Amino acid sequence: MSRSVEGTLEQPLELPPRTENKDLLGLYKDWQRRKKMVRKNRAWILGIIFLAVVWSWYATEFTLLYLISGAGNIAAFIATDLFPPDLSSIPMFIGPALETLYMSYAGMVISVAISLILAFLIARNMKFHPIISFICRSIVTFLRAVPALVWGIILVSAIGLGPFAGMVAVALSGVGILGKAFSDIVEEIDMDQVGAVKATGANWFQVVGQSVWPQFKSGFVGWSLYKLDLNIREAAVLGMVGAGGIGIVLERSISLFQYQEAAMGILMIFALILLVEFTTAKIRERIL
Amino acid sequence: MAETVLELRDVKKVFSDGTEALKGITSTVKKGELVSIIGSSGAGKSTLLRSINRLNDPTGGEILFQGKNILSFKRRDLRQYRRHMGMIFQGYNLVKRSSVIQNVLHGRLGYMNTLSGGFGHFSKEDSFYALEVLSRVGLKDQAFKRADELSGGQQQRVGIARAIAQNPDILLADEPIASLDPNSSWNVMNYLKQISKEDEITTIVNLHQVDFAREFADRIIGVKAGEIVFDGPPAHLTERKTQMIYTT
Amino acid sequence: MSEMKQEKNRTTKNLIITVAAVFFFFSLFQLDVISETFLASFDGLLGITSTMFPPTLDEPIDIFGAAVESLQVAIMGTVFGILFSILLAAFAARNLAPHWSISYAVKTFAAFVRAVPALIWALLFIVAVGLGPTPRILALAVNSIGMLVKIYAESIEEIDESVLDAVKATGASKFQVIMQGVVPMLLSTFISWSVFRFDINIRYAAVLGVVGAGGIGWELVRASRMLAYDQMLAITLVIFGMILAVEMLTRFMKDRVIQVNAKASS
Repeated sequence: MSRSVEGTLEQPLELPPRTENKDLLGLYKDWQRRKKMVRKNRAWILGIIFLAVVWSWYATEFTLLYLISGAGNIAAFIATDLFPPDLSSIPMFIGPALETLYMSYAGMVISVAISLILAFLIARNMKFHPIISFICRSIVTFLRAVPALVWGIILVSAIGLGPFAGMVAVALSGVGILGKAFSDIVEEIDMDQVGAVKATGANWFQVVGQSVWPQFKSGFVGWSLYKLDLNIREAAVLGMVGAGGIGIVLERSISLFQYQEAAMGILMIFALILLVEFTTAKIRERIL
Repeated sequence: MAETVLELRDVKKVFSDGTEALKGITSTVKKGELVSIIGSSGAGKSTLLRSINRLNDPTGGEILFQGKNILSFKRRDLRQYRRHMGMIFQGYNLVKRSSVIQNVLHGRLGYMNTLSGGFGHFSKEDSFYALEVLSRVGLKDQAFKRADELSGGQQQRVGIARAIAQNPDILLADEPIASLDPNSSWNVMNYLKQISKEDEITTIVNLHQVDFAREFADRIIGVKAGEIVFDGPPAHLTERKTQMIYTT
Repeated sequence: MSEMKQEKNRTTKNLIITVAAVFFFFSLFQLDVISETFLASFDGLLGITSTMFPPTLDEPIDIFGAAVESLQVAIMGTVFGILFSILLAAFAARNLAPHWSISYAVKTFAAFVRAVPALIWALLFIVAVGLGPTPRILALAVNSIGMLVKIYAESIEEIDESVLDAVKATGASKFQVIMQGVVPMLLSTFISWSVFRFDINIRYAAVLGVVGAGGIGWELVRASRMLAYDQMLAITLVIFGMILAVEMLTRFMKDRVIQVNAKASS
């Protein structure tokens, strides 16, 4: 207790004088004005959302009945057609499931490598030629906005069916996500630290190893693993457009009405996703 | 002799896990008094205070307010009773994302019907009153800021304003300065005392710092292990008695 | 002791890195990439790139119509996803659920739903309710539920009960406590995640058509079956434009809300 009781008693207790009603009126009006501003903005945005929903509802001819019948049908479908999953089809799915894993992983590594280069070209604090930066940035934005499945469709028709198309597809969408993420991380690198290491007369490798990499590492590992999580989901469905992996077999089962086989495929995808997420979580824990 | 506003008769509280927090508290509080309850943490100060406005329900005894046992109150009566009790918390407990003035207006909710209160349609009179209370605690200029933008001391003053906005008969303050630095603590206690004197509001403050209790309270109640072990004016609280309250 | 631990950590790290590198080349080998496929497909790509230009829209109105339909599907799927997620989150949050087992059950359900990709949901719903936009709306809604229930429930669990005590202590009714205390605490998290989910859904909506006729995804598949590379490029550009436009619109609205709120509280 830094101040004694006597010390404070000497200071009279002073409250601000009671405010005049006139002042309060001004304050009240100011408050009403602010409230109106927020309300008007909210009304605008809710209005836009409302119109968008009504327009969509009308155009898609959706009825609430579909919700009920949809829920009912899917429950019935899952219960009668999907169950029990056909355990004997497991061997059929194992090869493709592994293929999905390879696609996701190889695609991730390739996209990481390309993104690393692009990230340094894009990052403003690296001061590359602005036109080069701009072009790289545009490429990354474009790759990010186009879903992996679209790349899958294009690549399948361009280079043929198979996992190679799938790998390139996840790699392309990976460059979209990681290129931006990595360049953001590079932009946050503390250049003073880099300068300090440079000033000691260190060569390029030492500078990168001692000052850039430590700042870059955690974001780099985190995002790369996150991309692997995403890839496994994307790769699982890429097969449905012919781009290799478990999706191909699943598609075939469904189009042949072999629903119990398909159920096994879905469970395999489920297991694959959980397995990869578990592994990446463990690695994240260990490395970071 | 001033009239009695609150009477506790053998109030007991046993938590569901078996801990006896209050072992029969009997006391009366007079109008306009500033009572400070002191005691080490875990002595039952907080439970006692929260029993008075039924944020937790005592398991035995009676609490009389205006001649009625408030422990028997159900929903509607309880709501009406609670608006007579302004409460101030250790952690300020403001709705952080709402504005300061909005938080003060929450003090008026007990007087409004459920719907208009819920949707925040506060009347012009209520709004004026809230602004006036805010200017009394010196926060007129912060009225439109988000509550979490203020400093701790300022947030606690908003807490006082919210309680005062209720036009309460009794102010309950549960460790109002425990999370504040010494300077803000003095400041907040000054506001509390000044307002309770000006408006003649009976005030019950839980404190664990004896110095503050000595300076600000008219009367001190010492609580130890759920029982009252001291009750009297600050002058009677000797060093030995203080030690007795705080040693277990 | 700590040195040993450090040594152990370093070994694990090296081990992880080595395994990672080996697994990469193993994957490439398994995918049969290193062989002639790579060169062959590279040739193929070069040939096709030249036929992609200029991008062409044969029946431009149809393509834009399909893009608009995808947008509508995304909006509907998001709206129903949000509504049902709020409902389910109330049961999934530990502090609100009638019983902990219900919370556990709802959360497990959400985890399962989340792990099944949206495209598979679309396939299942096509079997269950037939073609058209409906199965895609339902697939998006269900897929959104998987993610949003978890996030909504977590933010409900983080509610500061002591603040609600304070509002209750003023004599406020239950409804008032919810509207004046709970809603302001949850609103901004709910909104920002819902907007984020909409951004995801618009991407999914663009491709869900792949598995069943409809939307712009289907147009792309149709063009790819005809090997009309110029059309494929054009459709890809339309998808790109649609996603970018929607993202810019949501970002504009978000920025505006932040601006107005800042102005109102300064």
